[in-house]
Amino acid sequence: MREILNPRERFGLLVIDETQDRVPLFPLLTSYAAIFVGVPLRDYYTDGVIMAKCQLQSREHFQTDFISIFSEVGIVAEGLGSEYHYPENDLPILSKPKWQDVLTAAGAITQKGEIALGGRLGVYLTAINYAYEAIADRVPILAYIPAPFTTAQQLVEPESLLLALIENPDAVHKLLSYATTAVINFSRAVIRAGALPILVDPLASGSVLSPNQYRQFALPYEKMVIDFYHRYDLDVVLHICGDTTNIIGLIPASGADLISVDKIDIKLALAAVGNKVRLIGNYDTSNLWLTPPTVIETQVIEMVSLGKTCPRGYVAATGCEVPLATPEENLATFVRATKISGQYDFPTKYKRAVV
Amino acid sequence: MRQKDNFSYQDPKSARITFDEWDDLFDQIPDNIIEKFCYFPPNDATWAKYLFPPQTFAIYGARHLRRLKFDNSLAALRLWGFVNNEVERLFRAQQIGKKVIAVMGDLGPLAIIISAFPECVPFYPDCWWWTPFAMESRVLLKTAEDLGIPEATCYSRAALGAFVKHSYFPDPDLIIAATGASCDDYSGVQSLVAQLTGNVIWVETPLRQSDDISETIELLVSEYHRVIKSLEELTGIRLTEDLLKQAIQRANLVRKITARLRDLAFTHAVFPAVEMMLIEFGCLHFYSDITEWINILHHLLNTAEHRTRTNQAVLPLSSLHLAWLTPPADPLLLCTAEDYGARIVATEYVINQALAPIENSLPPLVAIARSHLFGSLNGTSAERAELLIRQSTKNSAEGLIISGLLGGSHCAMESKLIGDIVRDRLGLPVLEFDVAPPNREIDRQTLTRIEAFMELLRSRRCAKS
Repeated sequence: MREILNPRERFGLLVIDETQDRVPLFPLLTSYAAIFVGVPLRDYYTDGVIMAKCQLQSREHFQTDFISIFSEVGIVAEGLGSEYHYPENDLPILSKPKWQDVLTAAGAITQKGEIALGGRLGVYLTAINYAYEAIADRVPILAYIPAPFTTAQQLVEPESLLLALIENPDAVHKLLSYATTAVINFSRAVIRAGALPILVDPLASGSVLSPNQYRQFALPYEKMVIDFYHRYDLDVVLHICGDTTNIIGLIPASGADLISVDKIDIKLALAAVGNKVRLIGNYDTSNLWLTPPTVIETQVIEMVSLGKTCPRGYVAATGCEVPLATPEENLATFVRATKISGQYDFPTKYKRAVV
Repeated sequence: MRQKDNFSYQDPKSARITFDEWDDLFDQIPDNIIEKFCYFPPNDATWAKYLFPPQTFAIYGARHLRRLKFDNSLAALRLWGFVNNEVERLFRAQQIGKKVIAVMGDLGPLAIIISAFPECVPFYPDCWWWTPFAMESRVLLKTAEDLGIPEATCYSRAALGAFVKHSYFPDPDLIIAATGASCDDYSGVQSLVAQLTGNVIWVETPLRQSDDISETIELLVSEYHRVIKSLEELTGIRLTEDLLKQAIQRANLVRKITARLRDLAFTHAVFPAVEMMLIEFGCLHFYSDITEWINILHHLLNTAEHRTRTNQAVLPLSSLHLAWLTPPADPLLLCTAEDYGARIVATEYVINQALAPIENSLPPLVAIARSHLFGSLNGTSAERAELLIRQSTKNSAEGLIISGLLGGSHCAMESKLIGDIVRDRLGLPVLEFDVAPPNREIDRQTLTRIEAFMELLRSRRCAKS
């Protein structure tokens, strides 16, 4: 099916409140790109050119609407000094956080989160640059940036952070401020490289934090980063994995322009925030992996039909990253079903074609 | 004048800076200044802000910005933000109930008539010829080619692609197309737009006659009356002479400030060439918001006058003096010439009809018709050469660059004719080349020719001294 708009044009219309030819299509196709191309995962996340080539090749094959520069959420923490193990066929694993616990961190933090842009941060920037030069006139380049709360959890033993939320909140805030500065510094480099930052805060999920904790420890720092993005007038995507049912009403206070949700009834999300922000979501990734294509097709059509009713606009997406073991046919079905069911009445004025 | 701006921000010493350097500088600009500038004033809607750095627009696809050099003043940042924001501004215009009118081909006069209608926003899709270069993209050109406009045609064919895509400007409420004494290639584009939209008002634009122009004026005025009738039907507003006079006053203010800026840039190097090209082209349709465009021009003029008073040239005054004929579709060419040690002191960008003042003493439509007859494209090549010769003589140009278009009908012989006239009359060396299709860098051959041309000019200057 020949489409009128390319992804860049489609997204451009979405963010200025104009109707598109169809809903933009955004399976969170991240490290799956390496699997699809047949590249060892370690090569993907340690070599920016390989990461970009995998992204370009898989986007070309599946005809999705975005490039997704991402591997995992440890990247900023690693830039700050946390250590990771790189398995050949798996994503990096936190082997030694920068600090043992939050109190140690709070005692050690004397300066702002200056971040060296080497290592895998450089890999990201190389990937962005490569993809940008290759395709950014037609396809938006998204770079996933781990939010401060998620980054903080990679700077100390994760359990230590969760305990400190109750026992040492002041120390947690000090750590979060440090992480926020680092996230903003890295974001600046990403923006210069030409990517639209998408803030991801998977560890601020309702599966991890109570609404009150989200309001206290995650939201203010998400907002600081998003305020920085808004200085550039960027249309900011905030993605939170897991169950966000209990915090969905709070998320717009972050200032995000597009909210990407995972495990939440899309009708509930629409009712809660559909008048305030554009909604992105939220096909269940377990289903994408394990369900037969015929079922996927039915479920995606149902999701897109509901999502299209979002007053501020809608992007059809998976709730989280496409699982590495997802059969190719399943993802292709997701794409096909979205394109068929996501059509809008477009263009609205003149439709005559030149013969 | 400088005090009046009161922006709680002090420009650094004037300089041309890179893409990354603008980001560093943007960090110093306080939030309250970013909030201050909104289009369609008075209007403080969040979406109406536009003071953003080149990074913002690069992320949304304007890839060429990463290679250009920019003036480092707040006024120039405002100019860039406003120009780059125009696509969004046109969509927002329609969203808030304004009528968006596409006007094609005459480049200047018709936009004034349209702007006389309150809540009408005129724009020239012709100007979207820069989009493929700004984005380093063949999308719009390819779309036009698919519809029958071949590759060896003026880059203005991108406008057809933009109509087909429905995403580079809103589907206009009305389309007005001037034909006759205009670009042949673009007439083809207009015909296909008419087929596509089924909604075009054609306006005959006659050739400039050297003898009696009264019949020509009469024809133009009658054509303008047809346009006005259509606009009155569309808007439900009757156009009065007062409204027309006010529109002329506004356009004349734009032209007057632009003329002053050109003078200061050519004599005192207060702004680089790309910024000056943007300023000149603002005279066509005011980047779809004449009120804010005038505010920006005042800001630019304040900056220029301050720089003149304080001897802050943005390029060395001793740079090689260049005249430039035909606007380069690729702005990187202007930056490159400056990088090689030149500065622009005379331009003939085919839009003279939008630069010359409109006479106040005549009936408004007659005055607008007469301004049309100053047009660069509807007279002889010798007349166009004369425009350039006057400026070149005044500002001591040392060489002429002509940037043409492969297949562009007004470039085929005209470039050679004008080049010959300038060479004969002023004895200036002339470099002529066609602008290559959109790319991330200037093609090697053109680059070498520009470099060699600069060497030639430098050696001539040495020989003279």
